[in-house]
Amino acid sequence: MKLFEVKPGMKCRVKALGPGMAALRRRLLDLGVLSGEPLLVIRKAPLGDPMEIEVKGTRITLRRDEAQKIEVEVEYD
Amino acid sequence: MTKQIVVAVAGNPNTGKTTFVNALAGTRLRVGNWPGVTVEKKEALLRLNGKEIFLVDLPGTYSLSPYSEEEIIARDFLVKERPDVVLNVVDATHLERNLYLTLQILETGCPVVLVLNMYDEARRRGLEINLARLSALLGIPVVPTVAVKGEGLQEALQQALELAASPNPRKKVHYGEEIEGAIKEIEDWLGKNVPQIAVKYPLRWLALKLLEGDPRVLQETGLKIPEDLPLIRHLQKVHGDLSDLLIEARYGLAAGLVRQCIKEHRVEPPLSEKLDRLLLNRYLGPPLFALAMWLVFKVAFDFSAPFVDWFDGLIGATGGTLSYLLKHLSVPDWLYSLIIDGLVSGVGAVAVFLPLIFILMLVLTFLEGSGYLARVAFLVDRLFSFVGLHGKCALPLLLGFGCNVPCVYATRVLESRRDRILTVALAPFMSCGARLPVYVLFAAAFFGPRAGTVIWSLYLLGVVVALVLALVLQRTLLREEPGLFVMELPPYRMPGWRYLLVHAWEKTRHFAVKAGTYIVVISMLVWALLHLPPGQDLRHSYLGRLGAFIAPVFRPLGFAHWEAGAALVTGVLAKEMVVSTLGQIYGTEKREPSAEISFPWESWKEVIKGLPLAFVEAGKNLWASFSPVSLEAESPAPKLLEKIRQKFDPFSAYAFMVFTLLYAPCMVVLASAYAEFRSLKLLAIMVGAGLFSAYLLGILIYQIGHLF
Repeated sequence: MKLFEVKPGMKCRVKALGPGMAALRRRLLDLGVLSGEPLLVIRKAPLGDPMEIEVKGTRITLRRDEAQKIEVEVEYD
Repeated sequence: MTKQIVVAVAGNPNTGKTTFVNALAGTRLRVGNWPGVTVEKKEALLRLNGKEIFLVDLPGTYSLSPYSEEEIIARDFLVKERPDVVLNVVDATHLERNLYLTLQILETGCPVVLVLNMYDEARRRGLEINLARLSALLGIPVVPTVAVKGEGLQEALQQALELAASPNPRKKVHYGEEIEGAIKEIEDWLGKNVPQIAVKYPLRWLALKLLEGDPRVLQETGLKIPEDLPLIRHLQKVHGDLSDLLIEARYGLAAGLVRQCIKEHRVEPPLSEKLDRLLLNRYLGPPLFALAMWLVFKVAFDFSAPFVDWFDGLIGATGGTLSYLLKHLSVPDWLYSLIIDGLVSGVGAVAVFLPLIFILMLVLTFLEGSGYLARVAFLVDRLFSFVGLHGKCALPLLLGFGCNVPCVYATRVLESRRDRILTVALAPFMSCGARLPVYVLFAAAFFGPRAGTVIWSLYLLGVVVALVLALVLQRTLLREEPGLFVMELPPYRMPGWRYLLVHAWEKTRHFAVKAGTYIVVISMLVWALLHLPPGQDLRHSYLGRLGAFIAPVFRPLGFAHWEAGAALVTGVLAKEMVVSTLGQIYGTEKREPSAEISFPWESWKEVIKGLPLAFVEAGKNLWASFSPVSLEAESPAPKLLEKIRQKFDPFSAYAFMVFTLLYAPCMVVLASAYAEFRSLKLLAIMVGAGLFSAYLLGILIYQIGHLF
């Protein structure tokens, strides 16, 4: 599943960062979006894009095409 | 003489690093740009215990990778300039992410003091940080601080000085046997094979970058890891991309440090999340955003208006005094006029912008520091990504409707140079307040009860042209990769007042000095156009001749007379000049009588009384002016209207308004843009796109209008 498809309020775990711009990949890694990392989807913007997620206790936002490059696995408690 | 100690301040964005630097440096802070880029550089010369300290604030970054201007600047400074000590400011409430950068700074081999900022907030949130253990594990001094309250700053600086004086060999951070083995292997190889390159860099850092395959370092050094290093080959075979492996190693270490040194980890600051539930709410967020923007607009323009008037009065009194003196010195008329009408009015043109820029920078820095600006970008990004812009450009462009000049400075909030240039290029199409008198004049002359509709159509037209231009520019001249959108939404915070004031003051000073110089020069040139050759009326001045010379160009737009040409030339000075020039030409506005012989006591009295009054007025405007004051304009003189009706028809009048809206930004905008970006290409885009769209649309309107 792609990160962008995860509903707000749900938890997921990063499986892989898809191929894409080196800069985007590196920025995501630098912000802690590593493979295996748990993410919490907080909300989407009023127009449906971008989205806000929590990673390592901080909030970051991503656009749809950025979030589409992140493959995740939803975690159900 | 003692040696100057260079102290670099590094850290993530949103850690209070800027507040920390401002609190340490106070008024000695100087803001400039890093050479060749538009990234802000802050530095200050300080003294402590008889030692001279050169404090350099590095750009806020999450990492030291080579993918953004900020990161490259920060790491080049650490690796090439070798500061004596680094103050690494970290957010105590988000330690794990912050330590990731700390580890990278340690890799450069610089002595580091860890500044645990926002320590009070961490405690309030129930985080118990074992400072001694953190310090022991990292092998560096750790100082808790609260920068907004000024707590712990001197101690941090003191620690930095001690460390700089005796940089005892630190225990280095250990990334585990596998990676350390590989590092050792490359270090040995470097020392044996290319010692001349290796000495230029910190050895461990160079080895790590080669291991990561850092494109910038590979290119700079021309080095490549040889195939025959067994440990590295093994690592690559097991893990694939070693750059990922190192990032994971750093984060692993950071997480371990947090586990060992912090107790009671509660996650989200409840207040910030509550605010976000309101401000980012799907239904309430947009109207609250509109309300916030309306307030910003109000504060920026209405609050500064009385101060603008006050500066106007001050310049008037100064001009009066000067003319009194000059008359008594009986200087020649031309010199008198050059000084009073050229120089003084040029300085005046700069002065009236000072309050506006100062107050605007205050508001903007407040929005940025409080964390709301990032939310604005989040809310409206979808609207802007559509034409390839970043959500953060919403604010600068919106301010453009008041005045395009602060808009240029407001683009500071954007990260990438490409986004900033694009935003500045679009700014002039936001129809500013100075263009309104032109619309009011022509709309009143021809469109009577429909005047309002006509004026709104011009505002709309400007926006449409800007959108088209954004799309065109990205496919042609600004084809660079758009900046990343990925950004942090920092918790809401109250920015320190001192920081806001110092920052706004620095920007205003920058405008006055840098852009001001160009503006005064251009004003003198226009003076020469208006007043030379001596003793001629306007029609036969250089301005009149220039107007007549360019007039035929406007035949397809329906206003091929010298008056329109001359008015458009002076309009470059400031758009409202179009009206006053037409007034002068048609003789409805007398030129200022230049024979004020008595000393202007009255004007000075007004100026002195006026300053406290301006504050009162500004306060009143802020609270009481719930009507759109910015849109009011004086009704034009009937005689001027009559003249204009003779010279224009409705279509050429509309074409003239469109031309005034689009044709070129005023010189203050151009001067500010050049002072900020030093890019002639940008100026060419601004003027070129303006003239082209103005001419094209002008022709279309006039010609199509006359088909029917």
